[in-house]
Amino acid sequence: MARANARLATMAWRNLWRNRRRTLITQFGIVFGVFMAVLFTGIGDSTYGQMIDHAATLGGGHVVVQHHELQDLPTLKKTVLDAPAVEASARELPSVTATATRISGAAMVATAKNSQGTFFFAIDPTRETNDTFGILDAEWEGEMLKAPDQAKAIVLGRGLAENLEAKLGTKVVYTVTDKDGEIVSALARVVGIVTTGAPSLDASLCLLPIDVVREHLSYAPGEATLVAVFVGDHRESAAVAAALAARVPEGSVALTWAQAQPDLAGFIAMKEGGALIFEVIIMVLLAAGIFNTLFVSVMERMREFGIMAAVGFQPRQLFSLVMWESAWMALVGLVASVVVIAGPYYHLSTKGIDYSSMIGDGAEVAGVAMAPIMYVRLYPTSGLVIAAVVIVATMVSGLYPAWRAGRANPADAIRLG
Amino acid sequence: MVSTAEKTPIVLLEGVHKTYRQGEVEVKALRGLDLEVLPGEFLVLTGPSGSGKTTALNLIGALDEPTTGTVKVDGHELSTLSRAARSRLRRDRIGFVFQAYNLIPVLTAYENAEMVMRLQGTDEAKRRERVMSLLREVGLSGMEDRRPMQLSGGQQQRVAIARAIASDPAVTLADEPTANVDSVTASKLLDIMERLNREHGATFIFSTHDPRVMERARRVVHLVDGQVESIEVRA
Repeated sequence: MARANARLATMAWRNLWRNRRRTLITQFGIVFGVFMAVLFTGIGDSTYGQMIDHAATLGGGHVVVQHHELQDLPTLKKTVLDAPAVEASARELPSVTATATRISGAAMVATAKNSQGTFFFAIDPTRETNDTFGILDAEWEGEMLKAPDQAKAIVLGRGLAENLEAKLGTKVVYTVTDKDGEIVSALARVVGIVTTGAPSLDASLCLLPIDVVREHLSYAPGEATLVAVFVGDHRESAAVAAALAARVPEGSVALTWAQAQPDLAGFIAMKEGGALIFEVIIMVLLAAGIFNTLFVSVMERMREFGIMAAVGFQPRQLFSLVMWESAWMALVGLVASVVVIAGPYYHLSTKGIDYSSMIGDGAEVAGVAMAPIMYVRLYPTSGLVIAAVVIVATMVSGLYPAWRAGRANPADAIRLG
Repeated sequence: MVSTAEKTPIVLLEGVHKTYRQGEVEVKALRGLDLEVLPGEFLVLTGPSGSGKTTALNLIGALDEPTTGTVKVDGHELSTLSRAARSRLRRDRIGFVFQAYNLIPVLTAYENAEMVMRLQGTDEAKRRERVMSLLREVGLSGMEDRRPMQLSGGQQQRVAIARAIASDPAVTLADEPTANVDSVTASKLLDIMERLNREHGATFIFSTHDPRVMERARRVVHLVDGQVESIEVRA
């Protein structure tokens, strides 16, 4: 039986090329469908990945360890007591690439001319890099903080500085509520003004040295509001959060970026859902085209199938023959897709699509600036999913034609012969 | 010549009726047909259009079922067989030669001729030996790799004959096998089938109007209105 099936594969391959033009038109349809799927999925994989990484470097990392009530009751009283131990524990996980301890919360910032409620990050500038703190990569006037204990230094977002009418060197008083509920104020001078490209972030951002803030807040050494954990691939966030859940101190939780930033996660889920619907429509149209080709091809050959049934082909072998034709159609379509799409894909994944003229000075989602160049970069798993969908769509399209072939009437062979 | 005396019939039709519908009209194609075919026969079914030749051939070939009556082929009563079993019977015990050759267009002459043996699961060495020998016998040596469209009508029919008898069937059914070829080719084809009959004992049943075929037959069964009108036995 294996020998007969081997011949079925050969026959199916040859049958595929009996009507070369029809097969090539169908192949074009598959290539077009795959290209559209690669384009939309690749844009999603790349853009959303970029946004997630960017969001991670704006504060909490891909996984954030914080007090379990902080998400619902944001206050500087909700802390992680031994942040260095959490960092050390996180770095033991192979997926983790970096960690950072930060204090973040609400503050009132005032100059002689104006005051504004804002959101501050207290960081150790000696430990932050572009990979952990994306703001370092932004447009700067002045300079970044230099040390965790740098006295009387503050960095403002461009929008906040404008609202406060502050410039480099301007005196600023910031006021926070400490761990004991006391209101404390401190004086600082503006050492840097940063423009991130996300207007809402620029209008509310201020950076402070972590040791100075820790002292103002009456925190113990090593105490902080969060530990940001970074991974090489954001899709590993859930696994890392789950692994960390067992390692964090009592009263703390490990949240993925999606749990910590539900606005961003919701936006991405909505966009991915829209793209999925579009891709499903493309695949249904593709499957309809393949079905049409296979069905017409089978109906044209019903007498031939009758002959084959007459000389001893079993119905399931005729069914298998057409399913082999479907399989070849899918495989050839995928190979053709790779050959045709490779060039454009390389261009789009390296040069991208510059749409800065469409978004003007900048666009942001949930406080995350969108990059002005859109790249098409598929995750390997997305590529495999597209290939699997093409194969399944093609095989499903072949089911009914194959069933019809299997029901060919052998009597027609003689009656019509 | 193979003697037909005192042998169990390879094909037996007893009181066979076949009625089918053509639109609103009920057509009685066979009306109580009785026929015995013995191993090694070279038999022709003939008669005017509508006499039931093709219907009889369909029934003997396990391609159709009688309305009433019994059809036995190689000891198997067809009405008791499932669709799959009839398919296996056709594959293993019945050969077909069609008027329009009906080779599989994507297979070469060799592949067409070996197809039934391949379906049977015969190993490759045996297939090759048998098919090459048959193709040589029907005069197609050197043309094994040609596809049907690269062969003349006569050559295609020779491949069809090789395919039909490659698996050593109990009976080979030939429906107007000479209808689409010129007289020289028809004569050569008949030579081949006659030789296969004489030398290998292959049983042939023809459905034909062609007098050239009837001249070679050792028994000619005349059908009229779905019944045997007369049987002509020749030396």
